[in-house]
Amino acid sequence: MSTGTMRLSREPALLLSPGLLFLLLAFFFPAIQLLAQSFLTVGAEAGRFTLEHYAKVVVDDFYAGVALRTFRLALIITALCLLIGFPLAVVMSRAGPTLRTILIVLIILPLMTSVVIRTFGWLVILGPGGVLSWTLQQLGLIERSMSLMHTETGVVLAMVQVLLPFLVLTTLGSIGQIPASLEEASRTMGAGFFGSIYHVTLPLSVPGLASGSLLVFALSISSFITPSLVGGVRLQVMAGSIYQQMTGSFDWGFGAALSVILLVITLMLIVPYMVITSRVGGRT
Amino acid sequence: MKRSSVLMSTIGAVTLAALAHGASAQETLTINSFGGSYEQTHRDLVITPFEEMYNVKVEVVTAYSADTLAQLRAQKDNPQFDVVHFSGGLEHAAAAEGLLSPIEPSELSNYDQMYSFAVAGLDKGIGPTYSTAVIGLLYNTDEISEAPTSWKDIADEAYADHVLITDAASNTYGLLGFLMLNQVAGGSLDDIEPGLDFVKGILPTSTVVSKSPEIQQNFAQGNARIAPYAQDYAYTLTKAGLPVKFVQPDEGGVLAPITVNLVAGTKKRDLALKFIDFSIRAEASKGWAEALRYTPTNKNAELSEEVASQVVYGEEDVAKLVTFDANEIAAKRSAWNEAWSRAIAK
Repeated sequence: MSTGTMRLSREPALLLSPGLLFLLLAFFFPAIQLLAQSFLTVGAEAGRFTLEHYAKVVVDDFYAGVALRTFRLALIITALCLLIGFPLAVVMSRAGPTLRTILIVLIILPLMTSVVIRTFGWLVILGPGGVLSWTLQQLGLIERSMSLMHTETGVVLAMVQVLLPFLVLTTLGSIGQIPASLEEASRTMGAGFFGSIYHVTLPLSVPGLASGSLLVFALSISSFITPSLVGGVRLQVMAGSIYQQMTGSFDWGFGAALSVILLVITLMLIVPYMVITSRVGGRT
Repeated sequence: MKRSSVLMSTIGAVTLAALAHGASAQETLTINSFGGSYEQTHRDLVITPFEEMYNVKVEVVTAYSADTLAQLRAQKDNPQFDVVHFSGGLEHAAAAEGLLSPIEPSELSNYDQMYSFAVAGLDKGIGPTYSTAVIGLLYNTDEISEAPTSWKDIADEAYADHVLITDAASNTYGLLGFLMLNQVAGGSLDDIEPGLDFVKGILPTSTVVSKSPEIQQNFAQGNARIAPYAQDYAYTLTKAGLPVKFVQPDEGGVLAPITVNLVAGTKKRDLALKFIDFSIRAEASKGWAEALRYTPTNKNAELSEEVASQVVYGEEDVAKLVTFDANEIAAKRSAWNEAWSRAIAK
């Protein structure tokens, strides 16, 4: 009996070990190194403990502004994904298999396109003299040619397009586990179509919505390719600033401090969110 | 079909082995080049003709300037390179660290044919500039009938909403263009405030980009009509069918030299010097202008009218070119990046 349980606990550990080893090497090791670097001096007296890198972030309103923009954009992107993604997931869950497959393919199509091509597409649409500008001009809504490239609106649009599938697919999984009989019951007891979605489907899909929106939030807060290509150099976000510190200015200490701050604030937002949503999801 | 290809490759391998065996008697020179079409041009103009002329083998390692500098540092006691090419001013750093060897003017037969800026650092270990990029103004010839004449023209209201500025923090050409704007606005390498103020003044009616393909997009979409950037990139745009022309403003264009340097401690100093001398001959200088529109640094390079109209060429025009101290740039770049990012941030 005792040997049986021993083997049972050893085997899962064995199965987990490749993943754990990979995580250790590719995530924890560099993360700890980064953490150390953010507290160490560079230059002539390299290697001493210091808080100067952090002081620079706190004292300087430029980086505070960059951080604020990053979190504001991530929140807007997550909210929009929820707003668009939930109804979409509901429709997909009720659709026939063919329609559902088509919708799934459509929604993950942007993910399968290279970021450069996707961004170029947005440039053609949003850029000065692009399709959007031309259409609005033809309709007489604007006089001069306009551009959403290098604007926050442009970044939000491009990011929602890429991140939507993460939310839709996780939510779809949650909705799929709701027994159809529950909704049928609510309908027979007098709830309308939207009433049934609001009172039954929505609360029961909270776990999917929660993990989906967490993914979206985490991905948008740390992304820098789309923001830098669509947003341009004048709209800095934290990940872009970190990239520039590391590869352009070679200020690794400061770049590390920015990274640690990004991670800490993200955790501060994500952990309470997980706790709250798990309670909401669990109660119903 | 299949059998014959096997036969062919066997013959090929045997021939290669024989050749390699024969080549082992030859002297080998190890150099770097920058890869891609640049390296191909480099082979056509310099490397292959040199091999044929001196019956030697030139081993080409594809490595950009920063990688090459890192390798030189690592191999300091036992250098594997004999000759290294640098762009972006890294030869100054390498020379200051003693990784490059000074050259006597008498060691280069083509020395007297060179413009003085191209051989100014020989005694410090900075090899000759064998060709140079030049930063000036690119403009759309369909939209602008009269060529701009001054760096300050980019603030002209006629170009409002169609000015393209290249990010100075992430793009070396962008930085050099900015330093020139700064100088024209009354600043210096010790004080970039005038330049930052100038740029801030035109920001509301300009677009800031960071990568050269974005410059092409903006010219292609009609958003850009004028942009401070490089002469060789104007040629890239022309080849893509865009109506773009390069002009050196009256205040002068900015030099972005590409140098060929003698590695300190090479065991093949004589051959390496021959290679450097061969790199700066008029024919090669002319070839770089023809292939990629870099400005010749050898005074004897004779360009056709068409090529000459697209590059800064001739003693009078070359005399206007401005050089910024690469060491000072390296020392201040990080602080400048920061100031620049703040100035342009929305």
